[in-house]
Amino acid sequence: MKKFLIGLVSGALCLGLMAGCGAKEEKSTADSTEAATEAAIDISNVKLMNDGVLTVGSEIGYPPFEDFAEDGTTPEGFDIDIATEVARRLGLKVNFVNTAWDGIFAGIDTNYDCVCSAVTITPERQETMIFSSPYINNYQAIVLPAGSDLDIKDFNDLDGKTIAVQKETTSDILMSDYKSTGTIKVEIVANEKVTSCFTQLTNGEVDAVVVDSTVADGYIGKNPDDYKIVYEDTSEAEQFALAMGKNNTALQAAINEALAGMEADGFIKSTYDFWFGGSAE
Amino acid sequence: MKILKKVVNVKGWQKATKRNIVILVLVIIAAAVLSVMKPEKEAMLSCTSEEVQNMIAQDENSSRKRVTITYNSLVVINYCSVSSSGAREISERFIGFFGKTYPANEGAAKVIGQMVNYTYRMLGCGENVMHGAKLTILLTALTILIGVVLGIFLALGKISKKKLLSKLCSGYIFFFRGTPLLIQLFVIYFSVPSMLGFAWRDLFSAGDNQAVYKGAFVAALIAFALNSGAYCAEIVRAAIQSIDKGQYEASKALGMSYGQTMSKVIIPQSIRRMIPPVCNEFIMVLKDASLVFAISLMDITTISKNIMTSEGSYLVFIPALIIYLVITACFTYVFDKIEKKFSVYE
Amino acid sequence: MENYEYILETEHVSKYFGELEVLKDINLKVKKGEVICIIGPSGAGKSTYLRSLNQLEKITSGKIFIKGDLFLHREKGKTVERIDKAKQKQLLLEMGMCFQRFNLFPHKTVLDNVMLAPITVKKEQPKVIREEALELLRQVGLEEKANEYPNRLSGGQQQRVAIARALAMKPEIMLFDEPTSALDPELVGDVLQVMKGLAQSGMTMLCVTHEMGFAKEVADRVIFMADGIIAEEGVPDKIFNNPENERTKSFLKSILNA
Repeated sequence: MKKFLIGLVSGALCLGLMAGCGAKEEKSTADSTEAATEAAIDISNVKLMNDGVLTVGSEIGYPPFEDFAEDGTTPEGFDIDIATEVARRLGLKVNFVNTAWDGIFAGIDTNYDCVCSAVTITPERQETMIFSSPYINNYQAIVLPAGSDLDIKDFNDLDGKTIAVQKETTSDILMSDYKSTGTIKVEIVANEKVTSCFTQLTNGEVDAVVVDSTVADGYIGKNPDDYKIVYEDTSEAEQFALAMGKNNTALQAAINEALAGMEADGFIKSTYDFWFGGSAE
Repeated sequence: MKILKKVVNVKGWQKATKRNIVILVLVIIAAAVLSVMKPEKEAMLSCTSEEVQNMIAQDENSSRKRVTITYNSLVVINYCSVSSSGAREISERFIGFFGKTYPANEGAAKVIGQMVNYTYRMLGCGENVMHGAKLTILLTALTILIGVVLGIFLALGKISKKKLLSKLCSGYIFFFRGTPLLIQLFVIYFSVPSMLGFAWRDLFSAGDNQAVYKGAFVAALIAFALNSGAYCAEIVRAAIQSIDKGQYEASKALGMSYGQTMSKVIIPQSIRRMIPPVCNEFIMVLKDASLVFAISLMDITTISKNIMTSEGSYLVFIPALIIYLVITACFTYVFDKIEKKFSVYE
Repeated sequence: MENYEYILETEHVSKYFGELEVLKDINLKVKKGEVICIIGPSGAGKSTYLRSLNQLEKITSGKIFIKGDLFLHREKGKTVERIDKAKQKQLLLEMGMCFQRFNLFPHKTVLDNVMLAPITVKKEQPKVIREEALELLRQVGLEEKANEYPNRLSGGQQQRVAIARALAMKPEIMLFDEPTSALDPELVGDVLQVMKGLAQSGMTMLCVTHEMGFAKEVADRVIFMADGIIAEEGVPDKIFNNPENERTKSFLKSILNA
């Protein structure tokens, strides 16, 4: 009797699982057919790991760029939207591969076609891989509490102030440089988490936070009454782009075409506004 | 003067102690001589190449300086490096010892230079008051000190016959032992001020640019002491309860009150039994001190990790280990002395 | 002149440990200067009785009078009446006690053991009490051990220090709870010598003891306890030579034959 019951239950479970999978499959197929009809970009000479699918590597766990939704399985975020839209415009389905940041680039061409994971274009990286045109610019920004009356117009105005940065980020390196070269005298408080920086700002432990403009936009988008950006260092921009294998120039060209279209019809700006609440540059 | 004579009881010294003192004095004299012989910062900078000299000169008038000059003076040896930031990074390193400057860009000299630099940074020299070894030592020592005192009161409360007091103390101990120190630290540093509307930094004068670290240290000390108090309370309770019942009876028969019995008879006897577990607690606090990084303070562990990630050098752990061992040795020595002092009667 | 007849008096004292009744209706009147030895088999309640006199044990019911004042009156485990705290504390100080296991404070020197209570309880000046303490140690023959720690002393010496420590509070009554039971036989003599001296000086003493020789020689009255009651009492000559109670007879027989 027991065995029979177990059999019944496991059978029901299997059926349920199959039904679930089936439904999902159906939905994706519907999406791709719709995409195919719209496809205008020629991808005939692009080599993909799986035909008809753009496989994207991403370290899913860096909101608002990429993160899992509350169900713990559905990826969501700014990068996710960008990559999905790129794939749609290329007439492809998209498949995200969650991977650790360490060694994320080693997986290109073996585990995924490209990486879309808030990757900054750097000269070192350009030696081993190629990048699409940048889809977002990131600057170092100074954030103050909304009610602050400090007169800060650029980094030199931080002289004698106490600031918070996230440890080992560009902000940390930049401000440490300002301090170690003696350009300005500034107390730099380094934190493991960027949220700690903003809490310190709110509590009045520090005068300002220096942080990526994207992150700043995200925080101000959520708390528009609490913080304000007083300076963005546009002279030293970091550009985020999709990265792919050195020989995959065909994919690079196709993605660039898709990104150009997304830029032209305002998709990137509206997506940025959606995720960051601020305005894209 | 009498006290001094008592402390520095020269006649009472053993032969070995006398020999050690002589060695120590000689080492101090040698170190003093060597430290005077060290080349100055300017002398070391004059050894740099023309290119670097030009860069330094250029920087003088620029509003965005690009050259970092590091100068670490560590007792008998010093380290100096000049490096530029940006894509074309240039760096020149030197060590100074016994009146001479040696280039330290490669080989053994480079390793020595790195060691000096790492040790200097981990000791927290030239940094704010709450940095590196200074922070670790100060935090650990004060935590244990306050923790033991707090622990004694909590333990007395817990074994008290007053039900409410006993429940309160038990609750306190349960709470602080049952929740992670890191979260207690977060609550005290982040949540409490935002709820009560003050900033830890405001405890110090507005003009003090290190107020942020001092404020964070105060918060860390409060969290650590409250937490350690709970652990020490259990240590103290066990020690008190291990004292023979006859001691209570004798005290009572002599007309001593509960408070007098505790303070004059029971606690002095239990201190000796507390020392070994308190020594363990001290080691725990020493390790836990790295948690203060969560509130922007850097202890030895955090600094060594930082150096490791930014420079990719695993050498950093050697000076880190040595610094920790020296700290532990010093504290163990103090604990041993206390234990000896309290066990003369055994 | 004191306005009381008995320095210590108990009426109907009984004591339960849970269900077990260890003291049953004990009545005793002690005159000032009297030396009373309490003898009896183990488990008779001798120690419990002694300890309940100075509140180390709480009696279940009965009355205790000290110097004519009703010190404590309890019925069925509840306090019916007691004198005010200040007086109570003062009266308790009239009783000194020595324990079987000495219970010296191991972390203090012999001298400090003697001086501790007068300084902390009576707030005496250390300079003054120091002389008195040394005098007491001289009386018990241990002046030269003043700066030793108790664990350096033999059991007999420790017990003598304990006596000096109790005497430092200037009690009018001394309670001895088997003071020589934990000692090696050759060390007993010194302690008994000190106690004899104390008795001759007119101290009121209650001794629970197994030293029959001491009881015979020193006691004004001997009390034989068995099963929580006072089975027989009287002058030593009567108890040891003409006991009436069968229990007393068999107890003495077993002791003397041992």
